[in-house]
Amino acid sequence: MKKQGNDNQDLLQSLNERAKELQCLYKVKEIVNKDQQKIKEVLPKLIEIIPMGWQYPENCCVRIIYQNDVFASDNFTESKWVQKAELKLKGELVGSLEVFFIDRDNHLHTPFLAEEQQLLNSIAERIENYLFQRDIQISLDQWEQARKDINSNVKADWMVILELVEKMDSNLFNRICRRMLNRLCFLGIAEAQSILGCLGMKKSCDNIMIPQDVNIPSLKIDFSIHDKFYQHIFKIASRNLGDDELLAYLNKWIKEDKIGFLVQVLENTDTPLSEISAAVSKYHHLNNSHFEISSYSRCNINSLFIQRLFTDQIEFIKFSRDYLDIDDFYSILQHSVYPNNSHGKLGGKSAGLFIAEQFLKNAGIEVMTPSTWYISSDFMLKFIYYNNLEEALEQKFKDIEEVRADYPNFIQVFKNSNFPIDLLNGLSMVVDNLGDKPIIIRSSSLLEDRYGTAFSGKYKSLFLANQGTKEERLKAVLDAVAEVYASTIGPDPIEYRKEHGLLEFHEEMAIIIQEVVGEKVGKYFFPSFAGVGFSQNEYRWSPRINKEDGLLRIVPGLGTRAVDRLSNDYPVLLCPGNPDIKVNPDPLEAARYSPKMMDVINLETNTFESVDLINILRTYGSQYPDIVNLISVFSDNCLFTKNIYQLDFENDDLIFSLEPLIQNTDFIFRIKQMLHELKDKMHTEVDIEFAYCRGEIYLLQCRPQAGSLDSIPQPIPKDISENSILFNAKKHVSNGIIDNITNIVYVNPDAYSSLNTLEKLERVGRAISRINSLLPKRRFILMGPGRWGSRGDIKLGVKVNYSDINNTAMLIEIAQKKGDYLPELSFGTHFFQDLVESSIKYLPLYPDDSDIIFNKTFLSGSGNILSELIPEYSDLSDVIYVADVMKEREGKILRILMNEDINEALAYFATPSSQESSASVDIYSHHTDKQEDYWSWRFAMAEKIADSIDVEKFGVKAFYLFGSTKNANAGPMSDIDLLIHVDDSCEKKKSLLLWLDGWSLCLGRINYLRTGYKTDNLLDVHLITDSDIEKRTSFAVKIDAVTDSARELPLRHKSD
Amino acid sequence: MENKSYNAFKTAQQQFDNIAGHINLDSGTRELLRVPMREYHVNIPIRMDDGTVKVFSGFRVQHNDALGPGKGGIRFHPLETIDTVRALSMWMTWKCSVVDIPLGGSKGGVVCDPHHLSLHEQERICRGWVRQLARDIGPVRDVPAPDVMTNGQHMLWMLDEYETITGAKYPGMITGKPVGMGGSLGRTEATGFGVVFTLREALKELNLLPENTTASVQGFGNVAQYAIQLYTQLGGNVICVSCWDQAEGKSYSFKKKTGINLDELRGISDRFGGIDREKAEAIGYEILSGESWLEQDVDILIPAALENQITKENVGTIKPSVKIIAEAANGPTSVEADEVIKSRGIFLIPDFLANAGGVTCSYFEQVQNNMNYYWEKDEVIGKLDLKMTSAFMKVSELARKNDLYMRDSAYIISITRVAEACKQRGWV
Repeated sequence: MKKQGNDNQDLLQSLNERAKELQCLYKVKEIVNKDQQKIKEVLPKLIEIIPMGWQYPENCCVRIIYQNDVFASDNFTESKWVQKAELKLKGELVGSLEVFFIDRDNHLHTPFLAEEQQLLNSIAERIENYLFQRDIQISLDQWEQARKDINSNVKADWMVILELVEKMDSNLFNRICRRMLNRLCFLGIAEAQSILGCLGMKKSCDNIMIPQDVNIPSLKIDFSIHDKFYQHIFKIASRNLGDDELLAYLNKWIKEDKIGFLVQVLENTDTPLSEISAAVSKYHHLNNSHFEISSYSRCNINSLFIQRLFTDQIEFIKFSRDYLDIDDFYSILQHSVYPNNSHGKLGGKSAGLFIAEQFLKNAGIEVMTPSTWYISSDFMLKFIYYNNLEEALEQKFKDIEEVRADYPNFIQVFKNSNFPIDLLNGLSMVVDNLGDKPIIIRSSSLLEDRYGTAFSGKYKSLFLANQGTKEERLKAVLDAVAEVYASTIGPDPIEYRKEHGLLEFHEEMAIIIQEVVGEKVGKYFFPSFAGVGFSQNEYRWSPRINKEDGLLRIVPGLGTRAVDRLSNDYPVLLCPGNPDIKVNPDPLEAARYSPKMMDVINLETNTFESVDLINILRTYGSQYPDIVNLISVFSDNCLFTKNIYQLDFENDDLIFSLEPLIQNTDFIFRIKQMLHELKDKMHTEVDIEFAYCRGEIYLLQCRPQAGSLDSIPQPIPKDISENSILFNAKKHVSNGIIDNITNIVYVNPDAYSSLNTLEKLERVGRAISRINSLLPKRRFILMGPGRWGSRGDIKLGVKVNYSDINNTAMLIEIAQKKGDYLPELSFGTHFFQDLVESSIKYLPLYPDDSDIIFNKTFLSGSGNILSELIPEYSDLSDVIYVADVMKEREGKILRILMNEDINEALAYFATPSSQESSASVDIYSHHTDKQEDYWSWRFAMAEKIADSIDVEKFGVKAFYLFGSTKNANAGPMSDIDLLIHVDDSCEKKKSLLLWLDGWSLCLGRINYLRTGYKTDNLLDVHLITDSDIEKRTSFAVKIDAVTDSARELPLRHKSD
Repeated sequence: MENKSYNAFKTAQQQFDNIAGHINLDSGTRELLRVPMREYHVNIPIRMDDGTVKVFSGFRVQHNDALGPGKGGIRFHPLETIDTVRALSMWMTWKCSVVDIPLGGSKGGVVCDPHHLSLHEQERICRGWVRQLARDIGPVRDVPAPDVMTNGQHMLWMLDEYETITGAKYPGMITGKPVGMGGSLGRTEATGFGVVFTLREALKELNLLPENTTASVQGFGNVAQYAIQLYTQLGGNVICVSCWDQAEGKSYSFKKKTGINLDELRGISDRFGGIDREKAEAIGYEILSGESWLEQDVDILIPAALENQITKENVGTIKPSVKIIAEAANGPTSVEADEVIKSRGIFLIPDFLANAGGVTCSYFEQVQNNMNYYWEKDEVIGKLDLKMTSAFMKVSELARKNDLYMRDSAYIISITRVAEACKQRGWV
């Protein structure tokens, strides 16, 4: 029993031992598996735990030797009873694990169990595993460390750069550091923000730092003591940004900083063009690597450049600055000629062309521009001073009649003047550069092609064949430049400037010297064709054409014929938005109204010529560039497109139709795209000049198209009785109202065409000009046959210039049918733009149409005041009828309402509008909304002057007031026009003028104070004598004039 | 209330009634010939370039086809009215009849303004018109031709649509086609030459030798130029010609007492017969007012420009020397002036006979189409001469025998022929 009881006891004990052993092994495993423990921490723990696996833990002690380290239990002593396991790492003996039995009682034998050796081996194995993992980890760490060390030994690129910058350019270094700090703050890095915080900034929303908005000065931080501070910034940066990122920032900032010189040069208004040119050239060469500049600095530089080279006009700068590349200015300056210390500009035309080119380039639209040179505007002044021609600058203040009289003389004076040597050299270089290709010398004045005032055709543009020896060519260029300069003081531009209040504007004339697009064909030089394009179609020949569809006027050869109005010839009219709707759908009509002449440069005679198109086609045939695309053959009453082998240039009936070009090429698409893009980018309707040669479109000019400021459509009343109607119209009507018309000037078409000599026909034009100067401005309308201002054939319309009709409120062309053809309307020409810009309304009348009222009875009535108005022209009484509406219609005026939407206009007699408003509103004046009272105080002052004048002393007989003050339509800049009837005594006149001068200056000052408009002299005094009155010369006609006569103001005589 | 505004159809009917009275036409025939036999009114839906659909009204009026298939133009005109088309179709009947070609009278059109249509849209209108009327026209029924605002291109579109519908080639379905596409040679010269063929016969009748005569011509267009050419070849001498000056918007007369030189003037004139005044003066022409051509001491006047040129106001300026007026233009003489001319005994070759060379050549075009064989120009002109000459002879013979005014004689012949055909066919 006892034996069995013993056996059970043994078994139980054995099981206990095994459980202890397992427990030990688990503990060991737990310890060695803990991550990231160092050997020195792990092994002592094991020493503590291992004994618990043995029979007599209290008698066990453990020693682990690992390499040179020995770890042992606290109570460690060696004994003869020992169990040992070797520790190997990667096959090598690295240490050992030993368990000793301390036999304190010396009574036991073999204190170890066999299982305990196994346990020890297992533990050793665990340790070996641990050591192995540890070893790998260390190698990895070392490798990583080594790698780090390697890296840290080779400095990052950005550091090298930064160090270099610090050494070379401390200012740049400081700027870069500041930017880095800003950037870090912007990225929301707290460390950086705290730095900025100590700089007197506080954190605001969105991680953007703004200066504390307190009303005490912020604390000044002395950056110079912050050397270390800057390094600190970059340490923060290196922690938060990658090397590459840092490098990119540094590169960008350093490069941006490089163009700082450019900004400096441009910001300084004293910098002459030469320095700007040098700076931009430096930039150009720096820029070879083609780096990116931030959009804001590009914008800044661009807007500075535009202001410096072209214009101060805000609109212009605003629209263009985003689309330019700084390098673009390099090329324009490389092609500019300017004096030393020049502060000139390149003018409006240059600007328009330059900007348009960039817009198109940006939009990926292919367009060419001819090789162009620019002469800066200040050369004109230099030229004038050099030749002591200062008097020319005063021309603009003279009366227009005087200006007109002086002009031919001035042209010759200018042509006979000498050129300053630098201008001469510059032009000589240009002549060398352009070789013997034909050129055009174009004006590009500061006023030209500004928004709102397209100065079209006022200044000259001259073609030169540019053939012969260098001396000959240079001489021709000088001659042309002088003539273009002289055109600044021509009567037309001066009149125009007066009209638009631009007289005070400092006008200078830059010059563009441009290669003529084209090629040599026989002895001639010309492009395939050229033309003008409008983004807005102001002339729609079909209701299916919309305004936005645009309009092209194209002529063979040089584009002069497309720009100018033609008599006896026709340009090809195309609507790019709807090219299939033809002006002349019938082939016979198309043939009849196709161009017959072309402008070319004759290289043999060195002249600009108009030649017969058909002769050129017959003579040169296939040599004519692009010929197959330009012509159709008229036969059997049809137009045929033929290929080059079919074309018989000698016998075919060749029509310049452009039909193959329209049908078979992308020309229309391209030009439409151009117009669209330019309109879009310039935020206004545009017109362009272009030439076409060998498949390429060349852009020659681009400017805002006048007339996009539309008036409002007027409701057309239907209850006006027919005898109150002067006329109505139902074709090509625009929008607007012409009110308070007091006079009607009507040139009777039949009577006009029956005039049998050129002299008589021309007299009509001169009479109109006189009437224009006498009738109150914008209070009369001109009605006449065919085309006003017809340049070539006088029979087609009264021969006038813009300045001869500029006071009218409306220009009416009466289109009487001639066969099946209605006379071409005045559009797309210089003249038309003048009308649009001056808000002179244009209306064609078709009295032959059904449903049209045309009150011939009124217009041939008895009340013709022509012979009273201009007695010297009374012989024209049956041709020109001038009606005084108020007199004829008992106080009524004429009102014309126009409505484009329903295409109707109505002119009828009505009672005058209650409010005193000008007949038509000047769309460009600043005072469209309310007509302020500028006249009544002027009137009072005039009365005051009359009252205080010493009639005896000054020999004054009568005192009259006329013009805008009398008419109560004076503007803020208006003069007070006085007409004083005086004795013919020089002495008295002199003292009177002196006395009035005082008044004038005072009143000018008063006006300035009232309006802010500077007018040095407010009085415009005209003295007349008895003989003037007798002969009715000069302003004497104003006295007792039939209309708009001068008003006499009472004088105080001594006896009073 | 009666509408007093001008109505072309009423005028044409009055003209007919007048002649019908002369020849004592029976009432049935009168009733038949006063009005068109058939009128087609069609609406043509057209898909416009912008995707919208517009419906255009079209007409074809077949006045009478007793003598043969109808013949007459197609007009594109925005203000077209059915009455105008009716009147024109009736005039076509008389015109074909007077030159004795086996064709009837028709006219057609579409109310549209080509100024507001693209070529693609015009093509669709042409094809649409044919689709609507293909069953009622064709080389053996009714043969259209170009007219106001239509040309050879339109004719080819119409022909193509017709051939597509019928599935065969019928070039004779339409005339006025370009040469090479079924057009006839000699078309350009036909009208002008035709005028002179009749003039030549008139001179024979009056026992005048062409080489002893002089003429004055109004107009220098196609018709005038070929008339001058042939008349000069016959030995005649044109001493004055007038033309419209496009640039000046008025006409001038150019005179050379020894006779104008056609080639010389052609050299200084534009495509439309506008003579360059300065150049003409430089080569010795006397420049006179536009009316002067009428006031010349000549034997022959050829108005070859527009209608209503000889009026009661200026008819008195015609010199006593004038023996013949050949109306090359359509309706150049007003009704009042016609009376004066008649009373003065001037030999008049009425317009619809004198200028029938054009329609005769159209007939030749169709003949060539139908046999698919094309003549040389000489052959066309030769046949034209024959046709015009015999037509003239018939008219003048009747006039001589019955002491009729040539215009009346021509109408009588023409209407009688149509009436006779109707009768023989048993229609009336």
